[in-house]
Amino acid sequence: MLLLPLLALLSLPFCLAASISAEDAHQKLVKLAAANNGLIKLDDSSYNLLTHPKRTWSSSIHFTALDPRRRCAPCKEFDPSFTAVAKSWSQVPASERDTHFFATADFDNAMGTFQKLGMQTAPVLHVHLPAEGSRRPASGRTAPIVYDFSNGFDAGPLAEQLSQYTPVPIPYKAPIDWSKYGTAAGVTLIFLSTVRLFLPILRSRWAWAIGIVLTSLVMTSGFMFVRIRGMPNSGANGQWIAPGYQNQFGQEVQVVSFVYGLLASGFLMLTLVTPYQTNPYRQRLQVYLWSGVIFVMFSVLISLFRVKNRSYPFKLLL
Amino acid sequence: MPLAYTLPSNLSPATVANTSSLLRIVALALISGAAIASRLFAVVNFESIIHEFDPWFNYRATRVLAEKGFYAFWNWFDHTAWYPLGRVVGGTIYPGLMATSGVIYNVLHALNLPVDIRNICVLLAPGFSALTAWSTYMFTKEMKDESAGLLAAAFIGIAPGYISRSVAGSYDNEAIAIFLLMFTFYCWIKALKTGSVLFGTLTALFYFYMVAAWGGYAFITNMIPLHALTLILMGRFSSRLYTAYSSWYAIGTLASMQVPFVGFQPVRTSEHMAALGVFGLLQIVAFAELVRAHVSSRHFQSILFGSVIGIGVLGVFAFAGLTYKGWIAPWTGRFYSLWDTGYAKKYIPIIASVSEHQPTAWPSFFMDLQFLIFLFPAGVILCFRELRDEHVFVIIYAVVASYFAGVMVRLMLTLTPVVCVAAAVAFSSLLDTYIDPVEPDVLAPSTQATEAEVPAGDSPANAPSGSATTSKKAKKAAAADASSSGLASGVLAAMSPSGKSAKPRGIFGLDTRIVVIANALGMLLFFVLHCTYVTSSAYSSPSVVLASQNPDGSQHIIDDFREAYYWLRQNTPQDAVVMSWWDYGYQIAGMADRPTLVDNNTWNNTHIATVGKAMSSPEEVAYPILRKHDVDYVLIIFGGLIGYSGDDINKFLWMVRIAQGVWPEEIQEPNYFTAKGEYRVDDQAAPAMKNSLMYKMSYYRFAELYGGNSAVDRVRGQQVPKTGPTLDYLDEAFTSENWIVRIYQVKKEDLLGRDLKTANSFDQGKKRKKSKPLARRKAVV
Amino acid sequence: MPRHWRAPFSFLLSVVILPLCTSAANSFENTAIVRTVELGGALVHVTTTYAVKALEDGSSVYTIALAEQEHAHTSWLEAKLKGESERLPLEDFGFHQDSGVFLYTIELPKALNTNQTANLVIETVQTHATYPWPEEAGQKDGQSLKYEAELLVLSPYKTAVQRTKVRSPSPQIHSYTTPEDVEFTTDAVATKSGATITYGPFHDIPPSATSDFADKKQKHITVHYSYDYPVLEVTKLERAAEVSHWGANLNIEDKYWLHNAGPRLKGHFSRLEYQTQNYFGRPAPHTIPALQLHLPAGIHDAYYYDLVGNVSTSHLRTTPSIPKGAAPNQYSVLELRPRYPIVGGWNYSFTLGWDSPLEDYAGYDKATGKYVVSVPIMTVIPGSVVDEAEVKIVLPEGATDIEYFVPYPALDETISTHISYLDTVGRPKITLKYAQLTDKHGGNIYVTYKVPFSAHMKKPVAVTTAFAGIFTLALAWKRVDFRIRRK
Repeated sequence: MLLLPLLALLSLPFCLAASISAEDAHQKLVKLAAANNGLIKLDDSSYNLLTHPKRTWSSSIHFTALDPRRRCAPCKEFDPSFTAVAKSWSQVPASERDTHFFATADFDNAMGTFQKLGMQTAPVLHVHLPAEGSRRPASGRTAPIVYDFSNGFDAGPLAEQLSQYTPVPIPYKAPIDWSKYGTAAGVTLIFLSTVRLFLPILRSRWAWAIGIVLTSLVMTSGFMFVRIRGMPNSGANGQWIAPGYQNQFGQEVQVVSFVYGLLASGFLMLTLVTPYQTNPYRQRLQVYLWSGVIFVMFSVLISLFRVKNRSYPFKLLL
Repeated sequence: MPLAYTLPSNLSPATVANTSSLLRIVALALISGAAIASRLFAVVNFESIIHEFDPWFNYRATRVLAEKGFYAFWNWFDHTAWYPLGRVVGGTIYPGLMATSGVIYNVLHALNLPVDIRNICVLLAPGFSALTAWSTYMFTKEMKDESAGLLAAAFIGIAPGYISRSVAGSYDNEAIAIFLLMFTFYCWIKALKTGSVLFGTLTALFYFYMVAAWGGYAFITNMIPLHALTLILMGRFSSRLYTAYSSWYAIGTLASMQVPFVGFQPVRTSEHMAALGVFGLLQIVAFAELVRAHVSSRHFQSILFGSVIGIGVLGVFAFAGLTYKGWIAPWTGRFYSLWDTGYAKKYIPIIASVSEHQPTAWPSFFMDLQFLIFLFPAGVILCFRELRDEHVFVIIYAVVASYFAGVMVRLMLTLTPVVCVAAAVAFSSLLDTYIDPVEPDVLAPSTQATEAEVPAGDSPANAPSGSATTSKKAKKAAAADASSSGLASGVLAAMSPSGKSAKPRGIFGLDTRIVVIANALGMLLFFVLHCTYVTSSAYSSPSVVLASQNPDGSQHIIDDFREAYYWLRQNTPQDAVVMSWWDYGYQIAGMADRPTLVDNNTWNNTHIATVGKAMSSPEEVAYPILRKHDVDYVLIIFGGLIGYSGDDINKFLWMVRIAQGVWPEEIQEPNYFTAKGEYRVDDQAAPAMKNSLMYKMSYYRFAELYGGNSAVDRVRGQQVPKTGPTLDYLDEAFTSENWIVRIYQVKKEDLLGRDLKTANSFDQGKKRKKSKPLARRKAVV
Repeated sequence: MPRHWRAPFSFLLSVVILPLCTSAANSFENTAIVRTVELGGALVHVTTTYAVKALEDGSSVYTIALAEQEHAHTSWLEAKLKGESERLPLEDFGFHQDSGVFLYTIELPKALNTNQTANLVIETVQTHATYPWPEEAGQKDGQSLKYEAELLVLSPYKTAVQRTKVRSPSPQIHSYTTPEDVEFTTDAVATKSGATITYGPFHDIPPSATSDFADKKQKHITVHYSYDYPVLEVTKLERAAEVSHWGANLNIEDKYWLHNAGPRLKGHFSRLEYQTQNYFGRPAPHTIPALQLHLPAGIHDAYYYDLVGNVSTSHLRTTPSIPKGAAPNQYSVLELRPRYPIVGGWNYSFTLGWDSPLEDYAGYDKATGKYVVSVPIMTVIPGSVVDEAEVKIVLPEGATDIEYFVPYPALDETISTHISYLDTVGRPKITLKYAQLTDKHGGNIYVTYKVPFSAHMKKPVAVTTAFAGIFTLALAWKRVDFRIRRK
């Protein structure tokens, strides 16, 4: 009968927590925090300490499963930023620092807690407000606040959000990314040194023309949409046209801009190039060719559009 | 000289000139007619009514202006908006639109034409679209020639991208802004070409008008400096540029500071710094030019050059310093969100929540511009071909606008004009090439030179202006040899800017011409069909009135909004405060004429969040909030009965989100989803959802409507629980015919001092519950 | 107050009448008075028949009396001889102090000799004589009203026998007072049969138009009955009629302010209730889902909107216009649905207008060279009272020597000028104000005026000159060269 000892094991921390007064718990926590630069590694017992019914301190508890066997990619993604924020919190003067704790509960260390809270997913971030003392919330709320990951896993917004519960805002500064600046400087240097080589290209209008036309082509075929919405390049089961009028995949950008480009160049050919053709027959050939291209591509474009917008009544060839 | 077809030769130039100018006038008149007519679908299908949301406020303000005069309007403090804060209207709007229609109104009445102010407001946008067509014509004329201008005018006249914001009844700033935009640009180009202070000043004046009319004036404020800067970098500095820019900037800035809403921004915010910087740069460069003209020593000149750069760098640093010190405000959120596209969603959810601030997918580009969208790159290339100063402008405009249009749907509006211009340039040069009857000789003999002597290009009004350009080409051609003939060399010849093209140019045969022209005309025809279809189907419904089809196919009008607003207006006290989500604030103020808590000018996030909180928290929490803001009625939109998808339950998550931004520990978005993370309204709905005021008000007694049968929400397509929610703190006051608008009255406190929940349960004859004390404690919160 | 007769020298006459009033007793005697009260909603029709016998020769002026409160409610009063159609001339002597009644005299067509008899029929319409009771009703409940009146018909003459019948539209009469110790009668004072309550007969009533009679003998009766039709009240009505000879068109535009004077809605309006009621075909009597108006025949381009725009829920069945002289027995029927059902106590205001061919209403008199236009004062909404009405008639620009004839005098009449489209000097506008109009008050205002040819030509001339001016300006602009320096 393995249940009994397990129960005993589980019940142990409770009685422990109950017995311990808030002050002692606080002392312990301060020590724990100090030990591991501001971040408490939780197990079941220390969890109960941290969420002491008479606590005068607030805490943000990060539930995660970092063990590779758990295969929790977001956990790994979020953990560093949380640690960074916790670290930055340890810089504030002790008087404030000890009124808010950062703690990480890994599934493999604090299974009991996970079961008790009935947690299915990780990472989860709980913020416990003080139950006693001056910082007790007006609503008298004791249940933890669940941090909303809608702003992503970055440390910046995290610190910003948590600062609403800490006595003083968390002095988090994003670490300066030296590599980025370095590369930037390097590139500029290289560019400046070799500017003489580039100069003719910079000077030539057609280089600019191609650049600008390509930009506007890409923009007008919904590149920004894909980028902002983070649309996949192509949908599941390999379909590359996203259903729906206000929706598209990355691949559509390429196709549509290609079609646009082809049509535009068709017009340009007819306007600029063909007239210079001094041989009547070749010229006629070109004219028919390009007109045909324009017509066909245009009808292709229309049919594409009909796929997106079902109710569109018009069609050309196909 | 072979001709593909013969032209009447016995016409005097004068006749040709007069005829063509007459034709131009007629064409412009017809285009204006088409532009106006195509915007009247809304009036024909429905009625002469103000559309959507913001226009209702503009309309209301205009009525104040027309009835009480300009000064009353200027000092208007609106007590009924943002109750109890109120709103200083005069100082927080762009008065250009109202002023315009106010002037029109007074002029007409002075002429004994007592036109109703509403009709003026409704028809303002179509009227100005005609002007837009005209100004586009002028603008494009500067780019190429009249024929291109006419095409451009026709394009912008009916392009859905512009119609979408200017149908009759959409009485919004954009209605006049696009005309001002195009005309300011035209004046700028003109000023740049002629270097005349007159046009510079005109640019400034219309810039001022634009500033007074639309927040988007910042686009001009940055386009013109960008153009000037590019010209300088291209080494195209000229006294013309100097005159034009200086006169524009000096007068324009001073004028723009007269608009109260703008005030000192032109010297205090980053959006305007580019203009200032370029202004300074121009002065320096001009000074340098001047000095260089008088001093010869190379040495000194190099020093000068260095010093210019030095000053420039200093200026940049000074700007940076000022910004850091806070003397210059950094980019405001709305503008910043154009660059950092993730910014809005994170920090200003209210902006992100507006549908027209979403990025644009390619179908809507095609929907709005159809075949112009792929003519547009061709036009840009043509601009590159002969790279005059004004072409540089179009090129910059093209790339900038296409980026903006990609980021925000509503900025499609600024893209449309340049697309029309560029497409018109491309299209008309195609037509020029293929309508021109002159055929080149197979070999390039010297006869072409003689033909080329004809100074066709002199009078721009000359009939088929194609012949002008071609004969020019021919002249170039005669100068050089016509040896190689192949695609590659053709491309080369085409690419070589139209100064030095070295080959004879022209089209052989009639059939080729016919093929191309037929193809082109076919496209134009298709474009017209497309525009008509899009305008009539997509852009012409005043979201105030909904149309549906009767079984017999006849149109059935669903008029619930006005029904409910009018009920409020007629049967509630004049000062009854109505709470609703901010979308409907302007409409309630305009139609129901009652004070509102929040409305569509979303200047106070906290206030909106308060409403969001009240809507998304349970009754007993919401009640104190309602009472504190002495709310009498709560108005919500519910589409579940007839499947109107734009209702409040669908907007609910935004309310939650915005409330969460201010009260993160009380409102949390995840609580409104089910455990599986679904957004449901049926039995499995999350408890927070079920208890929220919004949910209760939406589905109050909804299930009973179906008798015993299962009640289905037609929008969410889910079954609503049989036993609907009960309300203790509110009373159903009115529900419109199709249940779209539901109005609830907030109960006053119970006379016996019980909290209303117990009072209710007592009235329903229930025994006192154990929960009574608990309920009382809640009510005190 | 009734004001359907001129009272030019009533002062002078009232001096004469004072003795008459006191000595009236000996000029006439009422052999019988029968009063029939047709209970209704906003309107109550009262018909009183006096069987009169003359006591002296050549007595031709009969006097009737209205008690104060009765008079306050009465908005229409007409007297006829029984079985004849034309009204008898009526004269108002206003309030008579020491007898505390309002007196009117009726001139009989021919003087009666002693013991000759005549049957006078006095028809009155009372407005606001009823009030809802209970004052609040839920959406499901019915609607009942109370009517209060005096028991005995006052008269300055002796009355042999008198009866008062109160007829209710529905047989459900919740209660009615049976006044105690009424003299003049021995048997039951009130008897109810079906929907009718009969008071009396009362015998040998002395001249009752005196204050002490009113104090001592007069009794007060109240009838509480259920009424199944909405009690509709038009608090304000503005009618503007615009005559246009260019368009050969008479445009009439009415602005209505409706109020449901039935019992106030108890609690709140529930759409669910309303829809179920309609579904089972049992609409509550005090909600107004729709109105049916009889507009004149031959109208076109009718419009119906309110402050927030067009109201799309209305149907109009037009009939071709009727040739002149024919009896106007056909109407265009307008089925008009307000934006929302008007429940008891609710208001609704709207504007209703239409065009009709001018020849239906106007004629041209060759002899005098004058146009004659007849404008109906109001479109009667059945069973409703119009508290105050304003009728504006806009005549064509330049109309001269204007005269107008009204069926009954207005409270206030003015002629002003009204400026409309393309006017240069403005058009004459006649404004008439009325109050307490009932279904009896339908009638036409006849306006005659001259329009000289020059006035007709004003508009085209003005427009042409304007355009000519514009063109000349444009011409000048094109031709004149404004440049300072020649190129």
